[in-house]
Amino acid sequence: MDTYTKRSMKNSKILLIALFLLGGVLLASCGAPLSGSSWPGVSSNGDTVYVAYMQHVYAVRAADGSMIWRFPEKAGRQMFFAAPVLADDQLLVGDYENVLHSLDPNTGVEKWLFAQAQADWIASPLVVGDVILAPNADHFLYALSKNGSLLWKFETGRALWAQPVSDGETVYQASMDHKVYAINIRDGQKLWSVDVGGAVIYSPALDAEEGTLYLTTLARNLMAINTRDGSIRWQRKFEGGMWTQPALKDGRLYLGDLQGMVYAISAADGTEVWSQKVDQPVTGKAAVLDSRVVFPTEDGSLIAMSLEGERLWSRTFEGKLYTGPVVIGDRLAVGIAGGKEFLKMVSLDGQDLWTFVPPK
Amino acid sequence: MWDALIITPFINTLLFIYNIVGQNFGIAIILFTLLIRVITHPLMVRQIKGAQAMQELQKNEKWLKIQEKYKGDREKLAQEQMALYKELGINPFASCLPTLIQLPIIFGLYQAIISALASTPLDLLRLIRHIYPGLLQVESLIPLNSRFLWMDLGQPERLFIPGLSFGIPVLVVVVVITTYIQGKLIATPSANPKDQTAAMSNMMNLYMPIFMGYLAYTLASGLALYFVASNLIGILQYAMLGKVNWGNVFPFLNKQPAAAGSGGKKSYSK
Repeated sequence: MDTYTKRSMKNSKILLIALFLLGGVLLASCGAPLSGSSWPGVSSNGDTVYVAYMQHVYAVRAADGSMIWRFPEKAGRQMFFAAPVLADDQLLVGDYENVLHSLDPNTGVEKWLFAQAQADWIASPLVVGDVILAPNADHFLYALSKNGSLLWKFETGRALWAQPVSDGETVYQASMDHKVYAINIRDGQKLWSVDVGGAVIYSPALDAEEGTLYLTTLARNLMAINTRDGSIRWQRKFEGGMWTQPALKDGRLYLGDLQGMVYAISAADGTEVWSQKVDQPVTGKAAVLDSRVVFPTEDGSLIAMSLEGERLWSRTFEGKLYTGPVVIGDRLAVGIAGGKEFLKMVSLDGQDLWTFVPPK
Repeated sequence: MWDALIITPFINTLLFIYNIVGQNFGIAIILFTLLIRVITHPLMVRQIKGAQAMQELQKNEKWLKIQEKYKGDREKLAQEQMALYKELGINPFASCLPTLIQLPIIFGLYQAIISALASTPLDLLRLIRHIYPGLLQVESLIPLNSRFLWMDLGQPERLFIPGLSFGIPVLVVVVVITTYIQGKLIATPSANPKDQTAAMSNMMNLYMPIFMGYLAYTLASGLALYFVASNLIGILQYAMLGKVNWGNVFPFLNKQPAAAGSGGKKSYSK
């Protein structure tokens, strides 16, 4: 073989390897769960803010934004997006590698893990008394004891992306299979189910006193469901798609749609109390305070309004908001997707208090 | 631009097929792959013809003489090569151009399948925004039924057999085998040891099945299904054009030159 041919062959090999690498990166990047898969899940006990985002769960001091711990210390394959749930002496958080973790909320040390589910933990679990109710994308709602052993599991038709709600006796689970299920917490037996005409992404709001569940569906409906028998009390169709759950306060439901409208709706009969245009898709649950309601929008804005629909202030972060702010006393913790920072604390008038910067 | 011209129409076509075949996403992927391969078939024919012309050039006496004469002078060799292309009426890009045109379509197909599988909330929000409301109804379409045979098309495929503690990646094996067979069948062997195209083709035949198998093992099984469908349809297309060398896969056929090869084409042993 002459030198020319050898050199050409060598170049061909390099080109081939480069093409494989490029192709691999392109194809693999479409399949792997990257930052674009979801948004930060934020929760708090008042003193500490817990945030699950990408490869870690962080515990952050609510006072100044300094980190207390992170789990795992070294980034691995796990991806965390569902908001961690604090239950007495444990912090529960699921990952996108099918594992539900119980962590020590003070140290971040793992106490136990539950690895019997077959898909991602997209929704947060709910703790009712001594029972952990954890919905998984493998279609099952798992009931676990506080030490992580399986008590029962309940199968629905499709993935579960919504956190369940409960009145203490019954757990209400909305599913992507277009149904809402009422399940007895003690034995996992179905009490009733109702077809709501569209997939349910977000958790319902429960008014236990009135015995009503309020939820939105991908069929652009806001519905009120009787918790006693699953009958639909009322439903209201919206122009724009809904990518939020309703926030309930004092007989009103506050929510927005993907066409950039925000609404206050009467919880009693579904009639509109007021509506305002905010010009940006509302993506996430509104935070309702004593005298104001704060809506998150996809362009990264928080828009505060009075409870009567008067615009008070707005501010925009770098990134996108797909989850509502978490109220911590007189402050708001904001989880931001796709920006330089993913957790900020702001005052009730939208002023920056601190930004969480995870150590390298 | 990319989304509006390629991804969105692809997603809507894929979901439209999904709807009319009774909401079976596996069948929809197979039919959609077939549709795309049929549409791009003329490009494939041009690519084959271009590649064949280049292949025949390797055996051209004049070209062999030029190579020998200017083997120490790369610049002069390139000049003479271009002159020969002109003389023989060969366009050196005739085989590359159709491939380049097909590439965005293949990537678009891949992205459309990934987008339609939407296994996380943000993926679903993006998918909903791609859907033409006049063509498809989100409320009845979402969530997609991602079950096909024993697979969840949104997850890497494993077949679990009672008694075994691990899942067998059946589709990965099928992807590796079909990729290898396709590569071998369509390879045109060369008697010229200096033939770079043949050398490159040999390397591709070796590495490509491993690479595709790795992707099928790690990515959603919907893509592995697409790889298999694409390979089988590709083999069928080449067979219809009489361009497969069965002797490359079944060497015993080489002993009977008169009967070997689809369309009566002779196979060469390497």
